[in-house]
Amino acid sequence: MNCFIRMTILLLTFFFISSISFAADPPRYERTVVDYSIPDVVLINQDGKRVRLKSLLETNQRVVVDFIYGTCTTICPIMSAGYVHLQRKLGDKSDSVQLVSITIDPEHDTPEILKDYLEKYRAKPGWDFLTGSRRDIERVMTAFDAYFRDKMDHQPLTFIRSPTEDKWIRLYGLLGGRDFMEEYQKAGN
Amino acid sequence: MNNAYFTKTGRKSVLTIICLTVCLLNLSLFTTTATASGKDLSAQEIKHLGEKMYREGLLPSGEPIKAFVTGDVPVDGTSFTCISCHLRSGMGSIEGEVITPPTNGNTLYKQRKPYIEGSVFVPIIHNYAVYLPERPAYTDETLASLLVTGYDPTGRSVLDAMPRYEIADRDMEIMIAYLKTLSDKPAPGVTKDHIKFATVIVEGTDPVAVESMVIPLQYSVNRKNSLAVASKNNDRVARMGYNMLGDLHSMTFSLKRWVISGPPETWREQLEKYYKEDPVYALLGGISEGTWEPVHRFCEENEIPNLFPIVDNPVISDTDWYTQYLSRGIRQEGETAARYLSSMADLFSDRKVVQIYRETTRGQALADGFRTTWNSRGHAPAVEITLKENEPFSGLQLQQIVARHKPAALLIWDDDKLLGNVASLVGLSTGPGVIIASGVWLGEAIWTIPEELRGMLQLTYPYRMPHEEIRFDITARKVLEGKPIEDFDPIILRQSFIAQEVLGKALMEMRIEYYRDFLLDTIGMFDDSYPPLYERISFGPGQRYASKGCYIVQLGKGKNPQLEKLTEWVVR
Repeated sequence: MNCFIRMTILLLTFFFISSISFAADPPRYERTVVDYSIPDVVLINQDGKRVRLKSLLETNQRVVVDFIYGTCTTICPIMSAGYVHLQRKLGDKSDSVQLVSITIDPEHDTPEILKDYLEKYRAKPGWDFLTGSRRDIERVMTAFDAYFRDKMDHQPLTFIRSPTEDKWIRLYGLLGGRDFMEEYQKAGN
Repeated sequence: MNNAYFTKTGRKSVLTIICLTVCLLNLSLFTTTATASGKDLSAQEIKHLGEKMYREGLLPSGEPIKAFVTGDVPVDGTSFTCISCHLRSGMGSIEGEVITPPTNGNTLYKQRKPYIEGSVFVPIIHNYAVYLPERPAYTDETLASLLVTGYDPTGRSVLDAMPRYEIADRDMEIMIAYLKTLSDKPAPGVTKDHIKFATVIVEGTDPVAVESMVIPLQYSVNRKNSLAVASKNNDRVARMGYNMLGDLHSMTFSLKRWVISGPPETWREQLEKYYKEDPVYALLGGISEGTWEPVHRFCEENEIPNLFPIVDNPVISDTDWYTQYLSRGIRQEGETAARYLSSMADLFSDRKVVQIYRETTRGQALADGFRTTWNSRGHAPAVEITLKENEPFSGLQLQQIVARHKPAALLIWDDDKLLGNVASLVGLSTGPGVIIASGVWLGEAIWTIPEELRGMLQLTYPYRMPHEEIRFDITARKVLEGKPIEDFDPIILRQSFIAQEVLGKALMEMRIEYYRDFLLDTIGMFDDSYPPLYERISFGPGQRYASKGCYIVQLGKGKNPQLEKLTEWVVR
């Protein structure tokens, strides 16, 4: 093929590819590193089991925490999709991280509802969803500087604990799967 | 230089490449945007299959829709359904910082532009969001393109919060046709000047109870109609009214009483007749001392909202949509007792729980509430002893039951006669550690609980503490317009007060978009509130029982005791 034809093919291919690009806008989020003091409360997980929050969060594993609720629209599906994606990417190693979701609608979210939620997202072991008394949940939200006056006002906040540094990485915003993986991996170093 | 272009073969090759590329481009951009005239789709197909896609994230084939969120994270369409953000009415939502605009055909196929040329404010029809950017009206092609690529006709990406979906061909036609059916025309009972409501009353219900239910609703309707008159007569009122309520300010309401009688099996026919003669937008309140099921079913199947009927036995469902209840009814007390005892069950060792109840509707609801929740927590079922409606039951019999079963905890679902019976257990060294009864069933008899029983008898109490509730009398009196509050049932009065408050708040938010699903979607997005009677009521998409709470209380010591809380409002 001659030079001219090759150029034509190249130009047209370039045009073709760029016209079907699905690149997303770069997601925006804020990242800070904070020292949080976990209150010693006992919450209830999706199996109805009582769980001491400090024992769940202060371990040698990496831990990720978010605040969602069962009938949430909009934000929570995106955040939970991030959890699902992380578990899938980790494959066999999905139990190397403890994913924790804490409900900000403890009045409505019974263990049965938490379990249904996790099933809907096909959560693998290693992702626990917690409820409890309103007072205890508020204490936990306050401890993470994530107190919402009302569940309808909640914000997308995800916290990753780095076991080596014993600090929490606070991520504020809706993260794409890739960004979330990157932050997760950074936290382990 | 090679002059290949100028040869015939050269020209042919370039032409072929160009044609091929153009064809490929056409395919890639427009395969998924097949003209969706929807003309050959039946209404049934659109509703059934479109609904499945919109509400459940399932393609007509039954497979989950493939979706990609925030650009690259694959998710099942089943966990990222349209309904979860755009809600059932398609009118969108606002939660935290994320605004989901409407996705009904009426909105999509209209241009979105500023109210005032050059202004940053771009109002949409209801109050939710004023900061959405301009866009032209969608067409079937650009709408399909948005769904597949995540880019709107202005090139703006929605992918920060909305997935892009892999939907093609006929499935896309169905999806688009379905969106056009969402909130597409005003509901029955609504005109631009008037909204019709009705309240369902079961004949034979105590007249005081009926009036206590109707009066707050009627007050609210009268007040609205007064505003409409004032708006017509006075420009300043009209302006103020318009600022607060939009076009609602000049609209009038009416409230009809639909009285139903005879056996419950005949109620459905009576309701259908009322509805056929004069369709209403929604039912408000309503009252029945027995079942509510036929009315609930009528609303569900005709897709008519019913706000806060006054019933002891609401229909309990996780998925039914159209009736918003105040609580789960009497059974909520039994459920709370189960959760309360469950929290201390470790201390019971091998000792049993005994549940004694009257075989009346009330007793059975309490017992069933307890039983279902208690058993679901994995405990050994309670020993149950039933009493016929008028069967005598003595303190001696109670002592014998306790001696036989030695329960760690005892529940007695009965009226105030239980106080005399429980007195027989005072001083018993092997008596149960906890005795629970229904505070609501005891009613005023709570205040007659003898001092020696107060320490051992605990009560379920699904309302705010009386000494704190008294300050809400002022609020309740508002709707009585001078009538003495003593002439009414104080609980029903407050419950009905809540109904008209919630209705008013919802209509104010909805502005001129009076679709039925939108009414329930709007209520579903309300913040928690702290009304008369209930410590707190809360809502959420699909949540249909506003009060989740019930205290466990005890009567305090002394001559002028107060009820004292032993738990939080919601017992986990």
